[in-house]
Amino acid sequence: MNAKRVVEVLAAHAEGLTGRPEAIQQIKVTNEEHSRLAPLFQLAERLQQSMQPVQPSAAFVRRLGKELVDNAKRRAALTRRLRRALVIGAAALGSIVSIASVVAAIALVVTRLRARAQAQAIQAPTG
Amino acid sequence: MHEESDSALIARAKKDPEAFGLLYERHVGKIYNYIYYRTGNHHDAEDLTAHVFYKALKHIPRYVDRGAPLSAWLYRIAHNVVANWHRDRSRRQIISLDELVMGTLKREGPAHLAEEHEEQDLLLQEIRQLPPERQQLLILKFVEQMSNTEIAETMGRTEGAIKSLYHRTLLTLRKELASQ
Repeated sequence: MNAKRVVEVLAAHAEGLTGRPEAIQQIKVTNEEHSRLAPLFQLAERLQQSMQPVQPSAAFVRRLGKELVDNAKRRAALTRRLRRALVIGAAALGSIVSIASVVAAIALVVTRLRARAQAQAIQAPTG
Repeated sequence: MHEESDSALIARAKKDPEAFGLLYERHVGKIYNYIYYRTGNHHDAEDLTAHVFYKALKHIPRYVDRGAPLSAWLYRIAHNVVANWHRDRSRRQIISLDELVMGTLKREGPAHLAEEHEEQDLLLQEIRQLPPERQQLLILKFVEQMSNTEIAETMGRTEGAIKSLYHRTLLTLRKELASQ
């Protein structure tokens, strides 16, 4: 009996133990193979009997579920507030930059106009 | 009415707290069982299950759905949480209340029951000495009753690798139990 066959037989046996009998039916196990693998089959059966699902207490499940949802709601509210603050901050910054740009543009135009007026005054013939 | 898939719930849970609540209800039993069999007592199982779901809640906005089951991600978080617990515990050496209570019950119960309990305890103790991935395999196989295909998907391995790992695990356990 080669190692690959042992692996396949044990895997099929475990599938059978966990509610999939068709897996073990598909693999024809000889009497010799069965007696050779009997100790491992028995160990697998002991595992199956000893490892039964356990239920968390209903009170624990309910309490943790409520705590998690409340926590998630607080996080979502905080994220919304942060996002709103960011949008308002960005809008305020944008407004300040725009006003500053307009003021700078006006100052530039006024400065140029003054410079042009001064230049014209110097060039104009005196009467 | 058809049940919303995990993928759809994950997408919603990134923004909707109630969707996260539904995912929690769907998976809390599995994670609790995994942790219970890794720690051996209900008190720590509750505590660590809470840790796992708080971590999941924190990281779910960055979760990328690559087609693997959500439980694979939750088991990975649980694995890390349990590993940290073992590390802390080895520094503090604590006997859990469940172990104390079970010890008392065994002494007080009928002899054959006490013996059965003792054998079962011995087996569960040996399981807890196995490397984490072998413990996970046994939990998924016998507690969750998953098929080899489902286990392979959850553990991110091939079905062949899972079958081989199961074989090696049985051999190790048999050897350890025989040496007791």
